[in-house]
Amino acid sequence: MTDIRNREAQEAADRASTYEWGFSSDIEQDFAPKGLNEDTVRFISAKKNEPEWMLEWRLKAYRAWLTMEEVSWAKLDIPAIDFQDAYYYAEPRAKPKLGSLDEVDPEILRVYEKLGIPIEEQKVLAGVEGARRVAVDAVFDSVSVATTFRKELEAAGVIFRSISEAIREYPDLVRQYLGSVVPQRDNYFACLNSAVFSDGTFVYIPEGVRCPMELSTYFRINAENTGQFERTLIVADKGSYVSYLEGCTAPMRDENQLHAAVVELVALDDAEIKYSTVQNWYPGDAEGKGGIYNFVTKRAICAGARSKVSWTQVETGSAITWKYPSCILKGEGSVGEFYSVAVTNNRQQADTGTKMIHIGKNSRSTIVSKGISAGKSNNTYRGLVRVNAGAENVRNFTQCDSLLLGDQCGAHTVPYIEVKNPSAQIEHEATTSKISDDQMFYAQQRGLNAEDAVALIVNGFAKEVLQQLPMEFAVEAQKLLGISLEGSVG
Amino acid sequence: MLKIENLHAEIDGKQILNGLTLSVGAGEVHAIMGPNGAGKSTLGYVLGGRPGYEVTQGSVSFEGQDLLDMAANERAAAGLFLGFQYPVEIPGVSNVQFLRTALNSQRRARGEAEISAGDFLRLSKAEGEALGMSMDMLKRNVNVGFSGGEKKRNEMVQMGVIDPKLAVLDETDSGLDIDALRVVGDGINRIMRQPHKAVLLITHYQRLLDIVAPDFVHVLADGRIVRSGGPELALQLEREGYGAIAA
Amino acid sequence: MLLDLPSTRTEAWRWSDLSALPEIAQRAKSGVVPTALPWIDCGSESPRLVFVDGRYDEARSKAGPIQIGRVLASAPDHALARLAGQQGWSLKLGEGHAAPGLIQIVHLTSGAADHLAAEIVLEADAQASIAETYMGEGWTNRLTVIALAKGARLMLNRRMLGAGGFVSLTDRADVGEGASLTVATLAAGGNDSRVDSQINLSGQTAFAEIGGALLARGRQRHDANLVLRHDAIGGASRQMWRSVADDRATASVAARVEVARGAQKTDGVQSLKGLLLARSATVNLKPELEIFADDVKCAHGATVGELDRNTLFYLASRGIGESEAKALLTQAFVADAIDRIGEEAVREAYATDVINWFSQSSLVPSEVEGRS
Repeated sequence: MTDIRNREAQEAADRASTYEWGFSSDIEQDFAPKGLNEDTVRFISAKKNEPEWMLEWRLKAYRAWLTMEEVSWAKLDIPAIDFQDAYYYAEPRAKPKLGSLDEVDPEILRVYEKLGIPIEEQKVLAGVEGARRVAVDAVFDSVSVATTFRKELEAAGVIFRSISEAIREYPDLVRQYLGSVVPQRDNYFACLNSAVFSDGTFVYIPEGVRCPMELSTYFRINAENTGQFERTLIVADKGSYVSYLEGCTAPMRDENQLHAAVVELVALDDAEIKYSTVQNWYPGDAEGKGGIYNFVTKRAICAGARSKVSWTQVETGSAITWKYPSCILKGEGSVGEFYSVAVTNNRQQADTGTKMIHIGKNSRSTIVSKGISAGKSNNTYRGLVRVNAGAENVRNFTQCDSLLLGDQCGAHTVPYIEVKNPSAQIEHEATTSKISDDQMFYAQQRGLNAEDAVALIVNGFAKEVLQQLPMEFAVEAQKLLGISLEGSVG
Repeated sequence: MLKIENLHAEIDGKQILNGLTLSVGAGEVHAIMGPNGAGKSTLGYVLGGRPGYEVTQGSVSFEGQDLLDMAANERAAAGLFLGFQYPVEIPGVSNVQFLRTALNSQRRARGEAEISAGDFLRLSKAEGEALGMSMDMLKRNVNVGFSGGEKKRNEMVQMGVIDPKLAVLDETDSGLDIDALRVVGDGINRIMRQPHKAVLLITHYQRLLDIVAPDFVHVLADGRIVRSGGPELALQLEREGYGAIAA
Repeated sequence: MLLDLPSTRTEAWRWSDLSALPEIAQRAKSGVVPTALPWIDCGSESPRLVFVDGRYDEARSKAGPIQIGRVLASAPDHALARLAGQQGWSLKLGEGHAAPGLIQIVHLTSGAADHLAAEIVLEADAQASIAETYMGEGWTNRLTVIALAKGARLMLNRRMLGAGGFVSLTDRADVGEGASLTVATLAAGGNDSRVDSQINLSGQTAFAEIGGALLARGRQRHDANLVLRHDAIGGASRQMWRSVADDRATASVAARVEVARGAQKTDGVQSLKGLLLARSATVNLKPELEIFADDVKCAHGATVGELDRNTLFYLASRGIGESEAKALLTQAFVADAIDRIGEEAVREAYATDVINWFSQSSLVPSEVEGRS
């Protein structure tokens, strides 16, 4: 599959490169050739009909990226990535068309079933021919419902667009905020993303508006494949509220091994953003081969007084996860929250956590991290709580719990606490435990089999985080935890 | 219902049960009494199928099935309930969630339909009320923050909801004050004193037996039953102590 | 001397500031030894040693079982300790031997820099108790290599009471089966410091406790970096640190517990607390766990805050003045770490040092402003 695509891409690239004006002006092509240079960046920008300022922004990022180095401080064993041996732009790919679910990998179908995904949705996820229309009908009742949603959002004044559309339709808004939270040079992967991001989401909630529904990338599943360099920008104007759901519990396979997304959130006075993620990218086989590298930069600025940002994440997928959804608490009385469950099994590696940077007076933050390690995996919580000298009366509470299943895995906790203001109250607690034999026998004596018993106990361990998720996400996430740990006991 | 023959069992290579033989029929309540270290709790764990307890000799059949051949959860589904001396805490998991998962696991294993959410709530509420456990208590995490007495009552609520055929109750009376003992004892009678059910009461003292009157009393010492009799044996033990009788 | 110093970009030196070291190393040394040295009164004729600017001062010393000369100690991977060289002192005790009383060593660096290495080797069931005191205004750089055989016990107490300058202490310890190592560190002087302890619990049921109190004011910086590694089954470790920062000072503690694969039944406890007495003072804490075994008990807690205002008010209502109340409550705060010291004489000496630190206290800027 990957080979076929690569060959097509190569051919397209070959055609393009023989074109006498270079491929950069030839936007008829579906693929940019392999490798990364300024022409690749120009090609992407041209492909998307971007205004000149956007191209300049990308080029600036690209030039900065050339001078940067990959991070090395995480407890991760990252194989060398050849950035020239990859494609940076391809039209939304045609997945292999399947006639029916019978042609889908039975392993994937089994997981769908365990998750309780309706048949029609399964077809969409698996890419069965003609399934999309049906699925939209099945999920949203009818196409008109989706249209109703859009109308409802528009009536409320909410802008919910792909970022490509937003760059064209709302250039001033995008220009004002893009890169304002995660500067281009912030880190190696964020910089790369800034240069070559393919697509993503833009959300703007106007002043005083409570977004009438949960916004979800799920709505747009398969409608647009946003690819490996996703870019999300959410701006909540004064007094507004939005809850955004990212990801999907269904196992997602992707030929792109490297995913380097950037998510920026901006909350103005009294605004609140709730950002929930369920990440279940392909973790690779039992030996870790073929899994996704997920190097994401997520950051929010609570710019306004009393603004609030809440990150909730359930991370079960990817071979390597490198991710620290953070809050810059600039506004007085602003609130940052981070709730995380990270599960690693087999050879997975996760180094994830958060940064809470307290700048504003009376700002508060809460961190609850639940790490579950099984198999031969490594699971690290890495978090920073910083209180600047001018930040009076800051409160932070951090709870970091690790659960180990088996004696071949690792659980690590690396908290940094940096405080420059005496009125701060900072508390950090951490525990490490395993599932006790007593708990297992008790649950089994009451009739649960070993896997269900583990799933139940693990869900109890992660409850504080799971209950932060919107209802429909929470139920799926619970099942997902159990599935991710299959084969880890016995 | 339950037939134990010449049961030998050990843990960590240490022999605890030494040829225990016991037969329990439907409609019967048996009390197993004995001094500390006689193997009372081990008997409960071996019947429940706790990993680590190794049966080296003998057999146990439950309603004609080979009990020792079954995993702990299969024994539960077959109708065996073990009341724990020290009920286990499971943080983050509510009693209601735990019990419903347990009940439905058992039902599925028996090929029965799962219980509906409404029916389950009614059932657990009724059992809770009968044992003085409010719905608020049942919504709290499994045994977390419960007093010793609350834990034991919680075991009885579970027994009432699960409705087993055979209950093996390990020191269910320990840690209970006199009022709680009455509540728990009445619960055992109500739930288990039925013609198609049976109870194995593992206990130290007479006091629970005043409420749950046993049909048979056995004295366990050094991993064997050294004496059996009717209810009068328990009274005699109370008067004379284990020393005299087990000798 | 050319110094090749690590920058704060290096993770292990994130909170360090070594920029003053080259200047300190250039300071002229006076070689003057005060008539009264800060000996701990332990009422016995126990060994006492004095090193002045890195040289053994025989006239003022009574070496006891300590030997002076060449030692086998090196730490080539450590930016400061690798300068320690091969000269210094050693204590080697045979099986079942106990050192006579508390061995006291005073290190006085009157200026410039001096580097010494030390080696402590205790055979099975041997035991020793050592108290080292650091004074002066130069840069005192030490490397100590410790090996404890089965059942050996070592109590190591360090006091930093320098008027200024810099003290860097690097320890590399191996704790064998059933052996016990206790290290208690107190920084209550005017010097900056960097402490690096790397302790391996290589034997089963080995025990280590490292803790201390770091008091910093003015622009002082104290920086402790501790790694306790459990390599065998059933080990126990305790890390109990209290940091106090006033004015524009910085007190940092990075403490890590590592549990190797197979080191089951490890019991590790970390308690790191910071107290800030002024705005723009800094406390940095990094309580880190790295765990590769599932049957372990590792808990850590960390807090940073200020003195409780209610308690201060309560003391005020009983007539205790503000600075006295602060001193009292701060002493109580650091007492958690100091009270764990086993030897009464040492414990009392530490408590006195803490009180002295407060009595020498310069007025904090806010008070000056308040009075003007």
